[in-house]
Amino acid sequence: MGDTLHIGGSEFESCLLVGTGKFSSPDIMARAIEASGTQLVTVALRRFNPGEGPGDLLGPLSRIKGIRLMPNTSGARTADEAVRIAHVAREISGSTFIKLEIHPNPHHLMPDPVETFEAAGRLVKDGFTVLPYMPADPVLAKRLEDAGCSAVMPLGSAIGSGQGLRTADLIRLIIADARVPVIVDAGLRSPADAAAAMEMGCAAVLVNSAIAAADNPVEMALAFSEAVRAGHRAFRAGIMPVSSEAAPTSPLTSFLAEPPVS
Amino acid sequence: MSAVLPDWLDPQPWLRFAAGSNTAAVRQAILASHPGPRELATLLSPQADSLLEPMARHARDITLRRFGRTITLYAPLYVSNHCPGGCAYCGFAADRKQVRRRLDDAELARELDALHKRGLEDILLLTGERTPLCGPEFLRSCVEKAASRIHSISVETFAMTEAEYRLLAGSGCIGITLYQETYDPALYNTVHRWGPKRDYTDRLTAPERALAAGMRYFGLGVLLGLGDPVYDALALYMHLQHLRRIHWRAEFSISFPRLRPEAGGFEPAHPVNERMLARLIYAFRICLPDVTLVLSTRESANFRDHMAGTGVNRMSVASRTTVGGYDTGTSPTGGQFDVHDTRNVETFCRDLRGLGLEPVFKNWDRAVTAK
Repeated sequence: MGDTLHIGGSEFESCLLVGTGKFSSPDIMARAIEASGTQLVTVALRRFNPGEGPGDLLGPLSRIKGIRLMPNTSGARTADEAVRIAHVAREISGSTFIKLEIHPNPHHLMPDPVETFEAAGRLVKDGFTVLPYMPADPVLAKRLEDAGCSAVMPLGSAIGSGQGLRTADLIRLIIADARVPVIVDAGLRSPADAAAAMEMGCAAVLVNSAIAAADNPVEMALAFSEAVRAGHRAFRAGIMPVSSEAAPTSPLTSFLAEPPVS
Repeated sequence: MSAVLPDWLDPQPWLRFAAGSNTAAVRQAILASHPGPRELATLLSPQADSLLEPMARHARDITLRRFGRTITLYAPLYVSNHCPGGCAYCGFAADRKQVRRRLDDAELARELDALHKRGLEDILLLTGERTPLCGPEFLRSCVEKAASRIHSISVETFAMTEAEYRLLAGSGCIGITLYQETYDPALYNTVHRWGPKRDYTDRLTAPERALAAGMRYFGLGVLLGLGDPVYDALALYMHLQHLRRIHWRAEFSISFPRLRPEAGGFEPAHPVNERMLARLIYAFRICLPDVTLVLSTRESANFRDHMAGTGVNRMSVASRTTVGGYDTGTSPTGGQFDVHDTRNVETFCRDLRGLGLEPVFKNWDRAVTAK
């Protein structure tokens, strides 16, 4: 296994997914995306302004080579709304990938598990490649996988909070049982958080605020790209276990003969 | 007789923190991990004025983290200035000499065209108080026409019944803006000299009706200058928290309108200077990190530029407070108040970009709620 990510029959050479909100200009957004090396970029339908009206993000994104667009359903409060957004976004963007996000409470933006599960099943039936943003709940992760989702995207902490991997223990449980890629979405603050997620065995991470809100988004995108690669490599290399006791590098009993093989 | 303040709205328990604070308490309030009404009161105390710079820096950091380097834009469109109301501070009050009119269908279409051509996809339709010429049916018709052209339509008008709000929501209106003006019942009674708006409780409970009727956004505010700004700011905070507990899916915004010169020459009893206005905005940003804070063209270009991204995340642009006026550049009516920041869309956006902020013209898609 190299630095590749497999989702719904597609292969991506980068394990970093990038969001497009909060940037100070479409130009900086585009340069950050290019620097990140990502091949999967998410964008909200509400930021589409067809015909490249003012503030349109679809136009600038479609000019970046080598990326696949994954519209998201941000703004939806119910399954019905998310499904409607997904269909319109697919028509406009031509992408069957959909990042399903239903976070009805605008104050903490926590995902609604009930509506998300309902929408996921319907979108899978409608032929979408569904990546649901979800609470870090191991049972819900399996239910979404059973519903046909192509990946699960548990939150590290609240969107835009920069609180890092607050849910690490739950994400480990999700990874242990998952048959689809586990992608940590939301809350990552620094490249160290992204590396930590990859070291845990996540298939990828999605980053937006940490790049867009950095003093230099382009440099930060590059830093995340390097951290994701390093974390992934470390996971593949096999990280030494944690022990509460010291483990001497020169054991005291190595002079003794091995026990006889029975 | 004045209305009685409900217990959940009463800011009295917190006012002592605003009156008897000290700089150590202010420093603690700025960096509190879970700020509440006590911290808001502390940040509005006179002692906080000497710590305005650290307040501003913290507010800017929160705004950047939550809203990024973006400012969402909207424009107000007055569709009528008929008004039977007697609000002492308002240029559209019934006793002001004004040309009274409402937009007809063709005029509305031209105004919407003119706004659309400027790239604006977020429009707030405004009226005076309820009259036979400007009632729920007229507004419903305006909303329907506007929503077919522009993605995001909200309304700032008189307090309605839940059924009336439902009518607007069904026609494509996604948000309501309605300021209590002042939460002080006695003062409210004095400045609303006659007309339907005299009913304090009816106005206070309008947000609950609008949100129950399916509105997604609600804009709250007080008219700064009318009453004690600390009292009104704390009551506004209490009102917002009350609404959030009931309507947990709704998105709220807070505006900071200061009284501006108007045709009737009303003099504010509690004038709020720019320094205090800035502190109000920083304090609300620190205590309500995820609530949209709005600043309109009532304020100067210089002040708006300095508040953009340092607390404020939504701004009106190129506003006209006359009935219509976007299409031809003139309107036969006077304005509700005088606009201070008169920059056009291009200049305003150029200045925002110069500050490292991206103007967001479209942040909603009508497909979400399309039938």
